[in-house]
Amino acid sequence: MEALDALMAGFGVALKPINLLWGFVGVTLGTFIGVLPGVGPALTVAMLLPLTAKLDPTGALIMFAGIYYGAMFGGSTTTILLNTPGESASIATALEGNRMAKRGRAGPALATAAIGSFVAGSIATVLLTLLAPLVVDLALKFGPAEYFSLMVFAFITVSAVLGSSTVRGLTSLFIGLFFGLIGIDSQTGQPRFAFGVAELLDGVDVVVLAVGLFAVGEALYVAAYQSRLSETIEKLKGSIMMSKEDWQRSWPAWLRATAIGFPFGTIPAGGAEIPTFLSYTVEKKLSKHPEEFGHGAIEGVAGPEAANNASATGVLVPLLTLGIPTSATAAILLGAFQNYGLQPGPQLFQAQADLVWGLIASLYVGNVILLILNLPLIGIWVKVLQIPKDILYAGILVFATLGAYSLHQSWVDLLILYVFGLLGFAMRRWDIPVGPAVIGLILGPLAETQFRRALSISQGDATVFFTQPISAGFLAVTAALVIVPWIVRRSRRR
Amino acid sequence: MRRNAAEVALSLGVLALGLGVAGVTATLPAEGGYSGIGPNFIPGVVGAGIIVLGLWLSIEAFTGGWRGALPDDARERGEHAFCAAGFGWVSAGLFAHMALIGWAGFVIAGTILFGCIARGFGSTRSARDLAFGLMLSVGVFLFFVKLLNVNLPAGWLAPLLGGAGI
Repeated sequence: MEALDALMAGFGVALKPINLLWGFVGVTLGTFIGVLPGVGPALTVAMLLPLTAKLDPTGALIMFAGIYYGAMFGGSTTTILLNTPGESASIATALEGNRMAKRGRAGPALATAAIGSFVAGSIATVLLTLLAPLVVDLALKFGPAEYFSLMVFAFITVSAVLGSSTVRGLTSLFIGLFFGLIGIDSQTGQPRFAFGVAELLDGVDVVVLAVGLFAVGEALYVAAYQSRLSETIEKLKGSIMMSKEDWQRSWPAWLRATAIGFPFGTIPAGGAEIPTFLSYTVEKKLSKHPEEFGHGAIEGVAGPEAANNASATGVLVPLLTLGIPTSATAAILLGAFQNYGLQPGPQLFQAQADLVWGLIASLYVGNVILLILNLPLIGIWVKVLQIPKDILYAGILVFATLGAYSLHQSWVDLLILYVFGLLGFAMRRWDIPVGPAVIGLILGPLAETQFRRALSISQGDATVFFTQPISAGFLAVTAALVIVPWIVRRSRRR
Repeated sequence: MRRNAAEVALSLGVLALGLGVAGVTATLPAEGGYSGIGPNFIPGVVGAGIIVLGLWLSIEAFTGGWRGALPDDARERGEHAFCAAGFGWVSAGLFAHMALIGWAGFVIAGTILFGCIARGFGSTRSARDLAFGLMLSVGVFLFFVKLLNVNLPAGWLAPLLGGAGI
């Protein structure tokens, strides 16, 4: 029951009026930015990071928890009313949610998304509370070799196993790893790939990379390929209340989706894409009204939305307990921790228990704020959606450039931002995933440090990665993940 | 057989990046203390990896095109053909902003940026866009400088903005 005491102390931190205020601000801003079409959770978090520059770490991280959840919810609103899924995890919602909106049932669709997110988020946070101390106990036994092998596992699953192309996923990862090398080597002080540019000696900032890829790249892409298209926003007609039948059909979907989403979030499996589709398929199979799927079945919104939120919470397990981000958004959150000189992991649970448990407690609080704030304010979010694209992207870029410029007060960072924008444009056009690059940037330097530490301890003996059982296990699973699908594909071709 | 110029160029670009990383790595020191590996080891691994991936992409590009790529015809992707004006105005706005921010200040650079981006997205009402951009930039400037204590350059408008910022 140690965890319970720690959580209670955490609530003491999270419920302090000032921290509660930061939670409110975070949820509101997160939803506001997340609702904007074309702005996914990763970009929302990256754009709002500069806001917290002068806050104390606890307040800032609590605000970030709010932004994280708010961005998720905001994204689903956009998907339902606009049918432009901002990210792959929203595609499943778009299938049914937008059809419901077209049939004049936008209200219940938004309600089941909001309440489902609340239910799934809250249950997942309970699971996080129970699971985190166990993982921390395990992680305390890890040495550098185990960490390095675990990071290799994460690298491979996020880049090579998922997505439409192994080679393009790996290319994205390695470009991210290269960006991570830029700057001063933390072990020897040797500058690498900085070419004497002062702005590069500090290394590539994760905010600049994320904002460049997601905001500048997206603006270039949409201006070039989509700005002359017209689109329809579904009107919010009638009541947002769910009928008795809606409730009966929604709640089992929420619970099943939580059970699917949370475990997928905790393993490095590339975020919420798989669990949302899995939940969609399960609901379609189990539904008493399978004929409604494709025409606006409420289970098809309730399930994927709940799965999305449960997996978003699950992602926090490896992030907080091991310091390993498994989605682009989590990588940016890790960057936020690093800005305060904090490295998430088992040590943080011991050294900064107040902060970590305050953050976990604020997830419970954030979920409640989200529920009581969002349904009444839904009318405002719909107005936000109606901002015309030209004004919208112009505004986004004013904020995006601000974040990059405020790092060193230098135009060089803006040039770097533009270069990342060109890269983001090319990656979007030629279907190269962006997430692995962001994860590679932030996790690469950590992996290098663990690698060199492991070899320092073993006096340069590289077999240490294979002779330590836990490390060897991670590497064996990684190898299997790469080899097995390849063999299956080969044997099918014959 | 389909051979796509853009895919070939990108594949060779990745290969060139890998060679560049490897070339710079060769200039880095190798001494590594107890671990036996220095600051050049991981850059070497990353450089080698990028070279292999560049070759892999090139092979795909030369043998029928990248596997599972998006359709080349914009209409098949549900989009319109490449609009050079859109891409150009967004780029021009970002470069103008880069040149102006340290000199003319955040508000003026932001206003110009806003106007150019809106233009790039097909807006024809530049006066309205610049007015919106000015309002947003002033609001953001005051919010960040007065409330959040983040330094932003006031530039030419320093007398009007009351000496806020740097």
